[in-house]
Amino acid sequence: MSDEPDIAGKRPAASTANRDEHPLSVLLFSWTRSKAFGRVFLAVLGGFCVVLAALEFVIHRHDGAVLDALPVFHGVFGFLSFGLAVVSGWPLGRLLRRPENFYGDGDSDGGEGGDDR
Amino acid sequence: MTVDRLFELASAINPGFYLIAAAIWTAFAKGLSARVLGLLGGPFLALLALLYPPATGVEIAREGFAGLDLSLYRPDSLSLVFGFGFVLAAALAGVYSLHREDRLQDSAGLLYAGAAMSAVFVGDLVSLVVFWELTAIASVALIFVRATPASHAAGMRYLAIQILSGLMLMAGVAIYGFEKGSFIFADLGPMRGAVLAGVLDVNAPGGWLILAGVGVKAAFPLFHNWLTDAYPNTTETGAVVMSAYTTTLAVYVLVRGFAGLEWLVWIGAAMTVYPVFFAVMENDLRRVLAYSTNNQIGFMVCAAGIGTPLAVNGAAAHAVAHIVFKGLLFMAMGAVWMRVGTTKATELGGLHRTMPFTALFCLIGAASISALPLFAGFSSKSMIMAAAHGPGLMAVWLMLLFASAGVLEHSGIKIPFFAFFGHDSGKRPKEAPFTMLLAMGLASALCLAIGVFPGWFYDLMPYRDAAQLYLAQDLFAATHVLTQMQLLAFAVLAFVVLRRLRLYPPERRGVIIDIEWLWRRAGPAVLRVVDRHAARMAVATDATAARSLASIGSGLMQIFAPRGWAARGLPLAGTAIWTVALLGFVAALAMFK
Repeated sequence: MSDEPDIAGKRPAASTANRDEHPLSVLLFSWTRSKAFGRVFLAVLGGFCVVLAALEFVIHRHDGAVLDALPVFHGVFGFLSFGLAVVSGWPLGRLLRRPENFYGDGDSDGGEGGDDR
Repeated sequence: MTVDRLFELASAINPGFYLIAAAIWTAFAKGLSARVLGLLGGPFLALLALLYPPATGVEIAREGFAGLDLSLYRPDSLSLVFGFGFVLAAALAGVYSLHREDRLQDSAGLLYAGAAMSAVFVGDLVSLVVFWELTAIASVALIFVRATPASHAAGMRYLAIQILSGLMLMAGVAIYGFEKGSFIFADLGPMRGAVLAGVLDVNAPGGWLILAGVGVKAAFPLFHNWLTDAYPNTTETGAVVMSAYTTTLAVYVLVRGFAGLEWLVWIGAAMTVYPVFFAVMENDLRRVLAYSTNNQIGFMVCAAGIGTPLAVNGAAAHAVAHIVFKGLLFMAMGAVWMRVGTTKATELGGLHRTMPFTALFCLIGAASISALPLFAGFSSKSMIMAAAHGPGLMAVWLMLLFASAGVLEHSGIKIPFFAFFGHDSGKRPKEAPFTMLLAMGLASALCLAIGVFPGWFYDLMPYRDAAQLYLAQDLFAATHVLTQMQLLAFAVLAFVVLRRLRLYPPERRGVIIDIEWLWRRAGPAVLRVVDRHAARMAVATDATAARSLASIGSGLMQIFAPRGWAARGLPLAGTAIWTVALLGFVAALAMFK
């Protein structure tokens, strides 16, 4: 870690990125930055979902209400609900988003920009 | 005097009073040691009093005041679990706030905690109102302490809403108490079949007024914007403290007072759903958390309405778990706000490189709120979902299930992803100060302790046997874990697919208008038009106006003169309603400022 004060936003992104990185970050999260991560994650997640769906036929007894008894109901419902919530952000955003100072009383930014008090 | 006698005396005091005493101490405390003594000593004493209550369901302290019998300490199984949540919140916030020496903030935070804690342990409605209003006064100081024009304006709006709801509550209590001849607010109500009945009769005079006052504080739909307005406008510690008490206290009153009321089922279900859409659009991550709070309180309100022992346990458990994991998420965002200067998603990303501890703790909070098995939210929310999975509640259950997927979107993924991962903003802030990390670490440990070993947590519940039965038979049953994992895993799959297809809306700068538009834009605009026309009319009709004023003055004299209409004896209920109406009108006008 550099001894210079870390004032947010004052450093260029790429060139100093690795030098500033916390060792714990390297240990815990550096694997998420590989180029193949997106594809591998999708493949692993997709496989996990298939396993969860298949497991239902082994251990899920389908003894709930009508909807709950449908195969992979929770998975399908979770996928569709999440999709609906996210996709609705497009039209709703166009309808309800206004400039930041719409109410004319400044905004919530502040903080201390890097220093302890 | 022996130590035992001293301990006996100390445990006969409402635990909230220890926090209030600590608030007074910290107002004058100078130096780290004195601050630590106040910020941690107060919660420690309160915790001791909670762990060794003298007796439950029995009145411990009673005072007479203005002809009323006030029950200042009457612990029972419901108040103990909420008290436990409040003392945890006070201790965590105390540790978190040590990095910043601000006596007003320290003192206001402890006073807020002490007032909320006192409110859950009193046994009458009058004391409840007094302590609840004290929470409003203490909490507004946490907004003003930021001392910016935006926070001042937000503080005034917050104060107006809190006063308005407090007045409704006060008037409702006055009418209700005098009509019923009793102000008692203690014990759990009777069971009607399998459903708990609240101790308050909503159809009695004043009942709806009490419910409305509590509803505003619980952020019922259309009255929810005080949350989203206040939380992003306070300091990093202020948001942590504010997320713990007011809404949770409202849930406590709903459970004790109005359990089993069907309206609450639908109000709660609606509360879980609509914040999901606002949180998706919102750019400010602290505001996202405020909508998320609204959504989580909805689960508890819904559970209070369902009213079965399992639902009541669920409401109480989720209230405590929510204090911990939402506090944790606010702590993480507070650290980001302090270090970077903003919590806008458009300005963040890649912070895990230099704030890995904060990122890790945030992920634990996100897993907890998403109800991932072995995390706190799974232990608490599952009871509510199970209680809603009964006959006649299918639509409600589906709404809660939708909201569960929504929670994963806005709090489980959006918060950590856009702050710490996502695109690299190039910002390299320092890691949060040690005391902040310590508080986040403790909160994370609690999230895991509740999630992995829920037995001790379920022992705290009001219906302990029902909780333990649920733990033994259902919580970790393969079917339950599998269906929950399906919901979450497929929802994460939706996130990844939508991102890859570029269907996930990009974060954009801007504010999302909500119902607050009515009093922040439309109201002032209407007032300006009225004012302009009134000024023109005054010029044009000067003489007529003078005559009208004289006539109005004479009319007022007839009403308010010593033998006038207003001097006659009026029923107390009518007087209370008129007082509330007038004060409410003034508070509403203040909001347009």
